Amino acid sequence: MNEATPNKDLSRRGFLEITFGWLAATFAVAASAIASVRFLVPNVLYEPSLLFKAGKPDDFPEKSVTFMEDERVFLVRQGNTFRCLSAVCTHLGCTVNRTEKGYHCPCHGSLFDDQGKVESGPAPHPLPWFLVTLSKDNRLLVDKSQTVLADKYLVV
Amino acid sequence: MSAPLPKRLWQKFERSRVGRSIFRVGLPESNLERSQAMVSSFLLHMQPAKVNRHSLRASYSFGLGLISLYLFLILVGTGVLLMFYYVPSTERAYDTMKDLEFVVSAGLLMRNMHRWAAHLMVLFVLLHLCRVFYTGAYKRPREFNWVLGVGLFLLTLALSFTGYLLPWDQLAFWAITVGTSIASYAPYIGPKLRYLMLGGNVVGQEALIRFYALHVFVLPAVAGLMVAIHLWRVRKDGGLSHPNEPGDVVEQVDLGQLPTNKTYGLMELARGTTLQVGQNPDDEVFSWPHLVFRELLLFLIVMAVVLFLAIFWNAPLEEFANPIHPPNPAKAPWYFLGLQELVSYSAFWGGVVVPGLLVTALLLLPYIDRKRQGVGRWFARERRVAITIFTVCLLAAIAFTVIGTYFRGPNWGWQEPWKRPPPAAEGH
Ligand code: HEM
Ligand code: FES
Repeated sequence: MNEATPNKDLSRRGFLEITFGWLAATFAVAASAIASVRFLVPNVLYEPSLLFKAGKPDDFPEKSVTFMEDERVFLVRQGNTFRCLSAVCTHLGCTVNRTEKGYHCPCHGSLFDDQGKVESGPAPHPLPWFLVTLSKDNRLLVDKSQTVLADKYLVV
Repeated sequence: MSAPLPKRLWQKFERSRVGRSIFRVGLPESNLERSQAMVSSFLLHMQPAKVNRHSLRASYSFGLGLISLYLFLILVGTGVLLMFYYVPSTERAYDTMKDLEFVVSAGLLMRNMHRWAAHLMVLFVLLHLCRVFYTGAYKRPREFNWVLGVGLFLLTLALSFTGYLLPWDQLAFWAITVGTSIASYAPYIGPKLRYLMLGGNVVGQEALIRFYALHVFVLPAVAGLMVAIHLWRVRKDGGLSHPNEPGDVVEQVDLGQLPTNKTYGLMELARGTTLQVGQNPDDEVFSWPHLVFRELLLFLIVMAVVLFLAIFWNAPLEEFANPIHPPNPAKAPWYFLGLQELVSYSAFWGGVVVPGLLVTALLLLPYIDRKRQGVGRWFARERRVAITIFTVCLLAAIAFTVIGTYFRGPNWGWQEPWKRPPPAAEGH
């Protein structure tokens, strides 16, 4: 090839070099980006388990709502039925407080009724109810990873 | 008349073998040396040898960008010192804050300086943004520098936000719980984003170490680099904007147009906009001493103000973080209270849509508002429409912030500040 009249047509070799060059560069950049993001997503959590034992059914008075601090839930007993309501506000995650008629969030003032339904305030969803079962050793077992409808009870 | 003693001693040192090896040009005596001093020193060469008089006028820029820079430097300095004691562990972080306050010599001072400089930096970066807007300084050829600036503004907020968690007190814990929940309202990626930010589902050890790594390394490094590019661009875009700028700047020399019967130096082919383009030499003064000494003076003032604040007011530290009892009301740092107020109406609209639109509008501004009229003048008449829109948004942001800060009491209920019960009665 002559300097003064550069050959505009790509030779087969030049074409392959350019294609593979770009492919390799794109692949390298994409792979490192994906690996870095994936690296940042934790695979193991050292958080408290979402499954916990709340205690013996008889630890809870017959008509009661018990706040369980560490788990951020309310355990609701009516007669021989048991339910478990989340105490984490669905707005931005503050812990709600119990009032006479329901629940109240101190952060932005959302109000929930005793079924967890939003009465007023910015909370977009009702407070979820969690699945309550009985363990083999006769303890209430709450699974915070499973939500159920408000009318689902555990009858003991 | 002979020079004062310190100056004579300095000159003696400067002319010694060692002195010469450090400072190639001594204290300048002539205009030539004044230029050489600027060009030969690492720290000074970032700035031109001569500057436009207009750029020096305090009433034009108010030095707001420079003040932001100084605050950033103070934050780096005090922050590095704090790192020698701080331990990013949920068990020890709070104790190390107490140690800094009560045990470490000058620890309280460093912590206070770091905190107040951080607040001031948010304030001054915002004021700088407003100055640049109201003087039309984001227009051609400075569009991209404005975009970098918006990036710096967001970085400043991110730096503040990540730093906020580190003391691991009630304020920290709940501000981050609320703040990261706002992020989870973003469509599709929201919950994943929160998980990624916290390294889990709740604010705990993983979140603390992540925020720490971001706060002490990633964000300052990125911000430092961006500040460097920002300042470089200020120079390359022809120094500070001023009213008599040529309407259109030569962006690039078209090589095809140049006669080929001579050789060219690099300077002749590089981008055409330099400080000199379209300027009257009479409008220019030597950077040494006119610019350099103003800059030094401003640094002294900034440092004095930060020290003053740090000596007389202590940075707050509430009780140890308690995931069960949010303080009532739980408030974010002041610059996010406008956002928190919006979020109290609707987390999605207030926390995602409105701020998202505002940031997009800021980023696109220089590409939408392209007329070159009114550059280099405050509140130019020709820019009435843009100025009105910006001012309305700004006032709204201020109003929401003031409401969130002063008019929200327990349960985020409306409460006039003058009717607030004494602090003891509020009870957390
Ligand atoms: C960390 C934050 C920032 C630092 C340290 C910084 C620093 C500076 C400095 C030192 C200057 C020289 C003029 C002056 O002092 O006013 C400047 C100019 C400028 N800044 Fe910033 N800045 C920051 C953030 C911003 C923001 C948030 C914006 C806007 C979105 C912005 C846009 C500009 C523009 C367009 C100029 C050129 C102004 C002109 O030519 O008149 N900067 N900046
Ligand atoms: S977090 Fe409960 S109302 Fe905002």
